[in-house]
Amino acid sequence: MLALFSLLVGALLAVVLQPSVPQDVTRYLAMAVVAAIDSAFGGLRSYLERTFNDRIFVIAFVSNALVAAFLVWVGDQLGVDLSTAVVVVFGVRIFQNVAALRRRVFGG
Amino acid sequence: MNLLARARGTLDGGPPLVLVALFGVLGFLVVTAASSVTAAKRTEQPRRTQLAALIQQRRSQVDELDKAVTELRDRVGREEKAVASRNAGDRALSDRLDVLGRQAGTVPMRGPGVEVRLSDSSRTPPEGEDASAYRIHDRDVQLVVNALFAAGAEAMSINDVRLVATSPIRAAGATIVVSFRPLSPPYVITAIGADSGRFAVSDVVKLYSRWRDVFDLGFRVRDAGDLQVPAYTGRVAVGTATPTETP
Repeated sequence: MLALFSLLVGALLAVVLQPSVPQDVTRYLAMAVVAAIDSAFGGLRSYLERTFNDRIFVIAFVSNALVAAFLVWVGDQLGVDLSTAVVVVFGVRIFQNVAALRRRVFGG
Repeated sequence: MNLLARARGTLDGGPPLVLVALFGVLGFLVVTAASSVTAAKRTEQPRRTQLAALIQQRRSQVDELDKAVTELRDRVGREEKAVASRNAGDRALSDRLDVLGRQAGTVPMRGPGVEVRLSDSSRTPPEGEDASAYRIHDRDVQLVVNALFAAGAEAMSINDVRLVATSPIRAAGATIVVSFRPLSPPYVITAIGADSGRFAVSDVVKLYSRWRDVFDLGFRVRDAGDLQVPAYTGRVAVGTATPTETP
């Protein structure tokens, strides 16, 4: 509940502050966000499974986002669309994490 | 103090503060990324419409200037005639100017000739076939124009754009450009002075008659008693080229 509230506060802060992002970076930021969403769900899951470790969570959150953005950047330099790889990998993981969360919360 | 324990989630009762804080960061990032993507799209859209508006504006400007050129040339012609009526020397010059103007194409002309109408095929190209065979290209217009000149054409226009000695017929993408004016199909080639009999037996007519049957390309030849072509409004001055020694 508190996490959800924090999510809303963060979103509201972004709406109010209107941070401007250079257009060239937009793609990488979007990829980093996909990775961050995965990490957030992973953290929630581990918390509910009582295996939460703050250090692992923070490192995973930051490094996943950075690696995702970096991969896409490297892909752009090489002319290979690596953003697809990032989307697929993190997409699958997000679904897995959400499924685990659902099983934990609703049972079954 | 159990704040540290609470932050690290080692204490029961409520989610760890690290998790809560990073959720806040996530919310911030999601909104930022989403708004920047839509902002990028929004800046792209008006640029396109601006460009389209600019093209429209420039085209109407060109049309206006064309009209002005025709008007001014008319006035120059009238003034020259007025001067010429006063003495014989000026009259000879004016007559010579008249002839040169007709030859250069800066005078609108009328007379009997041939009108050729070219248009893309109305049939959709079958699967696996080259779609470009069903369209009229710059090369087609060039072939027909050359055949009309060979048949004796003296003054020619394509969709009311006058052809002169320096007029290029070329393609910009899929658009045919004549004298730097983009044209849209159908292409009506008006040729005053072309002999319909001579044109009818040319190879080009035979070729296009066959393609009309095979590809359903639009190719219609009309023999007309009174055709009109407009004056050329571009620059006619020859600057770089100089005559070689006359014999």
